Amino acid sequence: MASSQTLPRSGTPGAPATPPAGRARRAQRPVFLIAASCLVAALLAMPLVFLLFEAQGAGASAVSHLIFRSLTANLLWNTIKLTVVVTALCAIIGTGAAWCIERTNLPGKRVWEILIVVPLAIPDFVVSFGWASLWTWVQGFRGAVVVMTLAVYPLVYLPVAASFRAADPGQEEVARSLGVGRFRTFTRITLAQARGAILGGCLLVAMVMLAEYGAFEILGYQTFTTEIFGEFSLSFSVPAACALSLVLVALSLLVLGGEGLARGRGRVSRSGPLVARNLPPRRLGKATLPVLACFALLVVLALGVPVGSSIYWIFQGGTHALSGVTLPTAALTTAGYGIAAAALDTVLALPMAMLAVRGTGRIRHVLERSSYLVLAMPGVVAAFALSYFTEHYANGFGYQSAPLLILCYAIMFFPLALVGVKASLSRAPANLDDMARSLGQRRLAVLLRVTLRLALPGLAAAFCLVFLSVVTELTATLLLIPTGAQTLSTQFWAYESNLSYGQAAPFALVMIAIAAVPSYVLGRFFNRSGNVEGISIT
Amino acid sequence: MTQLAVTGLTKAFGGRPVLTDVDLDVPEGSLTAILGPSGSGKTTLLRIIAGFEHADGGMVTLGGAVVDGPGARVPAEHRRIGYVPQEGCLFPHLTVAANVGFGLPRRERRSKDIGDLLDAVGMGGLGKRYPHQLSGGQQQRVALARALAIKPSLVLLDEPFGSLDANLRATIRADVRRLLNEAGATAVLVTHDQDEALSTADRVAVLRSGIVAQCAAPMDLYTMPADPELARFIGEANLVDGVLGSDSVDTILGPLPVQSCMGANLSPGPVTVLVRPEQIDIAAKNGSRGLDGRIVAYGYHGHDAVVHVKPEQKSGLPALIVRTLGGCELPTGSPVTLHARGPVLAWPR
Repeated sequence: MASSQTLPRSGTPGAPATPPAGRARRAQRPVFLIAASCLVAALLAMPLVFLLFEAQGAGASAVSHLIFRSLTANLLWNTIKLTVVVTALCAIIGTGAAWCIERTNLPGKRVWEILIVVPLAIPDFVVSFGWASLWTWVQGFRGAVVVMTLAVYPLVYLPVAASFRAADPGQEEVARSLGVGRFRTFTRITLAQARGAILGGCLLVAMVMLAEYGAFEILGYQTFTTEIFGEFSLSFSVPAACALSLVLVALSLLVLGGEGLARGRGRVSRSGPLVARNLPPRRLGKATLPVLACFALLVVLALGVPVGSSIYWIFQGGTHALSGVTLPTAALTTAGYGIAAAALDTVLALPMAMLAVRGTGRIRHVLERSSYLVLAMPGVVAAFALSYFTEHYANGFGYQSAPLLILCYAIMFFPLALVGVKASLSRAPANLDDMARSLGQRRLAVLLRVTLRLALPGLAAAFCLVFLSVVTELTATLLLIPTGAQTLSTQFWAYESNLSYGQAAPFALVMIAIAAVPSYVLGRFFNRSGNVEGISIT
Repeated sequence: MTQLAVTGLTKAFGGRPVLTDVDLDVPEGSLTAILGPSGSGKTTLLRIIAGFEHADGGMVTLGGAVVDGPGARVPAEHRRIGYVPQEGCLFPHLTVAANVGFGLPRRERRSKDIGDLLDAVGMGGLGKRYPHQLSGGQQQRVALARALAIKPSLVLLDEPFGSLDANLRATIRADVRRLLNEAGATAVLVTHDQDEALSTADRVAVLRSGIVAQCAAPMDLYTMPADPELARFIGEANLVDGVLGSDSVDTILGPLPVQSCMGANLSPGPVTVLVRPEQIDIAAKNGSRGLDGRIVAYGYHGHDAVVHVKPEQKSGLPALIVRTLGGCELPTGSPVTLHARGPVLAWPR
């Protein structure tokens, strides 16, 4: 049948006619989106650039001398030791709790589900205060392990629970049908499905550990962050703060890169149709009571102790040695900063998220990766870089002003906003845009009537995420707060440092109350969307 | 009059050519199907016509006006092309009625027309529902109503029945055909299902390796495919070797009368011959003239059966496909005799 070769075929014979995988959606380059994203990326890179600039100013030899001294090794050991132990504990507690709640017939699941996540709304330094103010043994390494584990394990629980919900239940059934036992199925399928989520959660925990200041200060545990804070705001030693910041940023980058490597190329996919079918829950049987006891203990330790301790101190009253702003004033200031930063971040995240969800090509990758660099900028470093730069190089322009603080928040919490906005935009697929355009709608109308309208719940979630983070932020706020102003966290800190626990406690409780509302909204959002990638950063 | 004309269209993604030189004319009021295997560039072609992508070269004209070509690029929102995508793509946050009225100016969005349109697609009274409350077939009906609401100059259907089950597909296909006729709309349907293309469309364009290999009425396409590859793509085909004489062709099935193919000048000599399965009769071996063979496979379809018969003498030949109405009561392995009926189509080998 040679005649098929005589066909009048034009073009390149034998060239593959298949379109590339994923079928390019946008023919024209989204120039506006790329330009806007570049601007945002430049903004995000600012602290890092300033830091390098300052290190340059301090002199390379001075900085390298400061890096290679025994203090650095000591801090490194302290930081790494604590990060590894707490991350491991959080992985175990978070994954275990998620499995019990999502995959077993644990009684009272709906209640546990909420109680387990609430500690996320309690600032780490409040947990620390709650424990350390009651028991003196909660100090140093031991205290830090207990306090930080209880404060941050929900960061693992949330993504892992979401991934258990989204995972294909058929895979477990197939594994069992292939003669693989229950335990091996758990390790080879269930855990493998949740691997990305566990790693993502651990990454968040590790980043929190590297950035935490308040909790360690209370516990008297020395890490990079406490040392940088001290060098900069107490000893005014800029070269030392610079040197330590550089090491901390390098460490954060190492953690980020390590997580990327560990995650590998494997992807958890659901090959079957996306039906909401779930496995029958595993019966706990005789283990029910012990498991219930574990959950009760966890809730008492993570939620009961900090809240109870705060209430206890209110009733104890105490010295009123220090005067400060009133609770409503501080709450208003905090809410104002929170709303401003959250709104700014949601807007800033839009172009990059749009590009990440819709775009193709290399620019998109570069821009998206660049935003992760912010993750490697612990709050203390960002605040230090911004404040020192404005003070010494920008002729004090913006130094210790509310806009600078809000900008710093926006930079610090940008990755959170990006995650939320990305998740929300993926609910408004590009083909709906095409559809709307073919019905005669101009681009702006499409954006308003379809894309943003569909993304609204997710945008609200992103807003809440940033707002919540601002309310419970302490480190950068301490460094950048305008003179005379006080937020809930800084006023709490002032009282706490003065050992006026009775005066500090109400601020802690109000902070928890304000933060609890957006946390609840967030929990609902991520529960419903079942978006595994939603919470894990990468 | 030609409503849509595509000439010399080329498109590549990342250096890989998808459409190399596409020519297509769609007469006004007709339904033209673009048929091609997956990955042949059907959807890309449709997206270029709709204005979601731009061609690298060539031209698209709509009602005589250039919408994509050198110096002219009319954006999708100004083309008035109704688009019905694969999964319906209804706006999940809007009711059925709001979906249908989406493309209309604000004051017309609540008009009676929308109700009439919903009645026409068999969705009357369901205007207040949300897309997730509809079945797949209902979603497709709403998607069609939405596309027709803007009184489009052209309707594009991108495998709109692909996600429906077989029974529903036939019903909806017929409904869509009727609605398009009533609306007097010109339509282009993209599909990889040849049954769908042959039974629904007025004209079928076969897209292969980035070009339109043939564009013809369904019957012409089946009886007069341009080349053996097309013959095999449209329906089942036996392609056998033959030698062309003065008025007939000699094949293993005996001498058969020849039909001239698309005015091609056939000279005597070796040819490839197309014998459709329904052109062959099968009977239990009874010593009469014809090709003897054995049944090697048997596929029963209810209304007919497809029997694969291996010729006995020339063992190197592939099995011949024979279609019999009703069914064949002979078991696999039985010796049979085949008779072919002409005229057959031949191409030079």
